[in-house]
Amino acid sequence: MSEYEIRDSIGTAKGLDASEQPAGGGEVFRHSKKRHETRTNTALHVVLAVICVVWLVPFVFLVCQSFRSFQTESGGMVDYVWPREGLSMDNYKALFIKGFNAKNYTITNMNDEAVKQAAIEKFNGDFTRDFTQGFVPWWLGSLGIAAVTALVITGAIVLLKREADRSDAVAGRRWLILFVILQAVFIPFLLVVSGIRSAEFTGTQGILKVFLSMFLFIGFGAVAGHVYLKQDARLLREIPGYPQESAWAWVKRAAVLFLELTALLLVLLCYIRPNDNSQYITWYGNTLTIALFVSVIQTVIVLSVSYTLSRIRFKGRKLLMNVVLVLGMFPGFLTMVVLYFILRDLGLTQSGAVPGLILIYCASSGMGYYISKGFFDTIPKSLDESARIDGATRFQVFLKIIMPLAKPIVIYTILMAFMAPWGDYVFASYVAFGSPDNFNVAVGLYRWVNVNDYQGYFTLFCAGGVLVALPITALFLALQKYYVEGVTGGAVKG
Amino acid sequence: MASVTLKHIKKTYDNKVTVVHDFNLEIKDKEFVVFVGPSGCGKSTTLRMVAGLEDITGGELYIGDRLVNDVEPKDRDIAMVFQNYALYPHITVYENMAFPLRLRKIGSEEIHRRVCEAAEILGITEYLGRKPKALSGGQRQRVAIGRAIVRDPAVFLMDEPLSNLDAKLRNQMRAEIILLRKRVDTTFIYVTHDQTEAMTLGDRIVIMKDGWIQQCGTPQEVFDTPSNLFVAGFIGSPQMNFLKAELTADYSGSYHVSVLGVDIPLNPDQNSALYAKETPSQAITLGVRPEHTTVLFEANGDPAAIPCTVRVNEMMGSELHLHLVSCNDDNIIVRVPTIGLTPAQREQLVDGATLYITFPAKVMHLFDPESGKNLIFGDAPAE
Repeated sequence: MSEYEIRDSIGTAKGLDASEQPAGGGEVFRHSKKRHETRTNTALHVVLAVICVVWLVPFVFLVCQSFRSFQTESGGMVDYVWPREGLSMDNYKALFIKGFNAKNYTITNMNDEAVKQAAIEKFNGDFTRDFTQGFVPWWLGSLGIAAVTALVITGAIVLLKREADRSDAVAGRRWLILFVILQAVFIPFLLVVSGIRSAEFTGTQGILKVFLSMFLFIGFGAVAGHVYLKQDARLLREIPGYPQESAWAWVKRAAVLFLELTALLLVLLCYIRPNDNSQYITWYGNTLTIALFVSVIQTVIVLSVSYTLSRIRFKGRKLLMNVVLVLGMFPGFLTMVVLYFILRDLGLTQSGAVPGLILIYCASSGMGYYISKGFFDTIPKSLDESARIDGATRFQVFLKIIMPLAKPIVIYTILMAFMAPWGDYVFASYVAFGSPDNFNVAVGLYRWVNVNDYQGYFTLFCAGGVLVALPITALFLALQKYYVEGVTGGAVKG
Repeated sequence: MASVTLKHIKKTYDNKVTVVHDFNLEIKDKEFVVFVGPSGCGKSTTLRMVAGLEDITGGELYIGDRLVNDVEPKDRDIAMVFQNYALYPHITVYENMAFPLRLRKIGSEEIHRRVCEAAEILGITEYLGRKPKALSGGQRQRVAIGRAIVRDPAVFLMDEPLSNLDAKLRNQMRAEIILLRKRVDTTFIYVTHDQTEAMTLGDRIVIMKDGWIQQCGTPQEVFDTPSNLFVAGFIGSPQMNFLKAELTADYSGSYHVSVLGVDIPLNPDQNSALYAKETPSQAITLGVRPEHTTVLFEANGDPAAIPCTVRVNEMMGSELHLHLVSCNDDNIIVRVPTIGLTPAQREQLVDGATLYITFPAKVMHLFDPESGKNLIFGDAPAE
């Protein structure tokens, strides 16, 4: 007697009318599990869709670029490059042979016959070398990337399922978003850290490599995830009550795990290699330092100003607010030239660009008090008065009563104060001009594709761009609930 | 546990509007004083000046013997209960009540003891773990009071604490404030616009209008000897009846009041008071409280019986409020206890029926129609 039949007979024994019985026995039970399965499948599709979109742009670009490469007489691959003055085609062929590390040879001495000879000597007869110059072949590396992806996706699905079991859809969605971000960030991170350049994704093999990576990347993840899903769905459908796992399920799970771990090892061997002079980490660090300092200082200033203007009546308050309003109508760029000279005299340009930029961004932050003042105005004044009578100083009122109630606006202020310097290009570019160690990410990335080698750095540029989105996304995800949360409920009658 | 003295307190806002004029009051230690008056009379402003939430434009404010004009609210040793409770919504009831103690750096055991004690008094022990949002209006008000009493302040200020509650809860809380007052035993200043609250709670009542004190006295004094028309109309429910009348002094020095065609001689006390003030014969406004008026079904030849017509008949259960119209179209309200009425009499009290009212001289209040002053007791200056 199967499980379903038992359930049927129980139903009948209880005297239930046949029409009330779920058709096929246990249908109600199965139905609910089906819904669960659908939900997780949808989640999987969302994960895959997002990854595709994130990755498609650079990949398509790489594929297009590959067609512009050509083959040397000796069978090696040579990149198509922008014509630069004073270089003959021969020089190009010599210097942009695949795998050539351009960083060791600057553009200026490319006309040097000795360098040219050295380059030809170095790479002549070396055309059979693997594209990636890693320790493992390119296809293995691609496989590795895909497998790591699979690991992440699988992890996401396992977590999603666990959350779904607790019928906590919101928490499940949170995990989903988290893992999509991990997915989107992991590979760019590897690329940037390792300094892999698009020159390695060129030629006919390059096309193959790109496609294979892409398919494996998504496909392996999908397969691995599907295995889990199928298995879970089956378990849940067939076994009423607490889901138990069969030995076969464990075997499959162990196999997937083994594959994923091996793949992770491979990808590490393949792609991560010491890179002497990528400054990305420095730029990222600079940007992060500036943004963190600015977000703290600016938040403190903005909130203090808004609270004061909202609560304390002093002579000239109206006048001050009006003057600030009028001043705010002038665009900040008007001050650019003046600011540069001031900073230069203070020694805060070029090598002092980071503190200089912090100073610029924080300088007029008090003028942005409008929104938070509006928020403070909505918090009942009697709370302040009550606290003052209870024995609090103005500062204690601000810190202990108003701040907890104004959480949404504090969060908003922090986010805004963080984002402005994080994405700024204009001020950063001229304050740090000519001093690459003090660039922020935006300026650095621009330099990669504009001043440096446009093709060679395009993948890095894309990858770097994705990483720039990381802190902002994380901040928004972590803090979004405060946007909608009304926290002043219960303060006064209502 | 301190007296509060207000000397010539004045409040003028930036736009030159004066909301409190020359407020003089001496509140004794452990006294319960109620400021009462209509909206915008300056009672809340005065209280907020005592609390330190408003600057004092002129005059001197003493708490105990200390001049506190320029002392921060936190250093005045006062506690205040607000109309809208002003509970801190982000912390629990316990923390709300512990907040003033924590700011004073009192040990946590002592805080716990005091909070529990206050919660016990107010019956909110079981809500200590909740946030204010999860409480009803009455419970929130208790918490607000609790937060004030844990402090054990010298002066306890309450700014319309019951206005946000529904009628039933208000009556209940009023009784609890009376009990609370017995337990806490400190100086209270209570602001309300409800004369019932003022009468039931206060040792002394300060009646205000347009920033001026109209009268200050015990509830009984204010009820019996209102100093002017405003006080007479404000205190008592239903409101005092006002009638146009004529005061005449005869050659022997005794005064009569002619109202609605009847002539009522005054008492010797009233006579001598008027005589001492050399009051001339004049038109007056006569005030008679509804509860001091007797209703007669037949005139029975009584010369002081005034005929009236019933316009509205309000049944209150224990008594009837009859809205009558006199021959001069004056509106007169009288209270008739239902317990003394026979069914036949009750049937007579229909709209449009004619009745007679009468009142003795001793319940009459005589006001100057121009100044509104009470001709007998009116010493307090009216505006």
